[in-house]
Amino acid sequence: MEFAKKIVKTTEEIFNTMIFMEVSADAPLEQGKRALGCHVSAMIGLTGGFSAMLGIHCPETVGLAISGAMLGMEIEEVDADVKDALGEIANMVAGGLKERFAAENIGLELAIPTAISGKSYTIASSPRSNRVIIPFSIEQGQFFIEMKYNLN
Amino acid sequence: MGKTVLIVDDSNTMRKIVSRSLRQAGIDFEQILEAGDGQEALDVLAANKVDVVLSDINMPNMTGLEFLKAKSEDDAIKDIPVIMISTETGSDIIDEAKSYGAKGAIKKPFTPDLINETLGPLL
Repeated sequence: MEFAKKIVKTTEEIFNTMIFMEVSADAPLEQGKRALGCHVSAMIGLTGGFSAMLGIHCPETVGLAISGAMLGMEIEEVDADVKDALGEIANMVAGGLKERFAAENIGLELAIPTAISGKSYTIASSPRSNRVIIPFSIEQGQFFIEMKYNLN
Repeated sequence: MGKTVLIVDDSNTMRKIVSRSLRQAGIDFEQILEAGDGQEALDVLAANKVDVVLSDINMPNMTGLEFLKAKSEDDAIKDIPVIMISTETGSDIIDEAKSYGAKGAIKKPFTPDLINETLGPLL
């Protein structure tokens, strides 16, 4: 189903079109427990042809840079605007995936995105879920887009 | 007299991006109003003269489609043109939106040029 390829293409399109930041994708991380060292995350659920949770996870400096670029202003702390901006990225990535999977006759519905921030948190899901994590690099550092999914 | 646009999206970030994209597209509105969901949009339309609406679809409380349906049933506001701006631009959703009077759809992510192409003919 080429999850990683679809995530990379969709994310690059979003950053080129609406965020105006250069972004490059690195090789997907291997399966297994991962501490990503991130301080702000936004997630969105997808259901239909398969069920999934898509998340974007950022260290603070990267989250501030991305949301600042989206809003056209300098942001100094992780606040509601940062979480809103990352939620919108999660929403657009999920929307792009929905369109790409629709072309393969796999229908999906999107939930409303949610976001969290903090110094130390973990995100749990069923151990039976499949997972793909793609690291992306921008000038300020790395962020991650993760998709946990269960094929129906 | 200048024109007024209403931007409807539950994301403050996206409302700002749409507003900025309108300026980048060279579309100069005298007034830009904002609403965070469909019900807020109906309230804004009831209290202001609005020339065109740009609305998200996937919103809490009242979705973009529910907003369109309610608007289409109100004679005072039903003729105000609406363009949908959303990640949800599958043909079924857009057909439903058009059945309630939407004049077009713009997929996120979008460029200012796409906004100009879609919105320009309505102004």
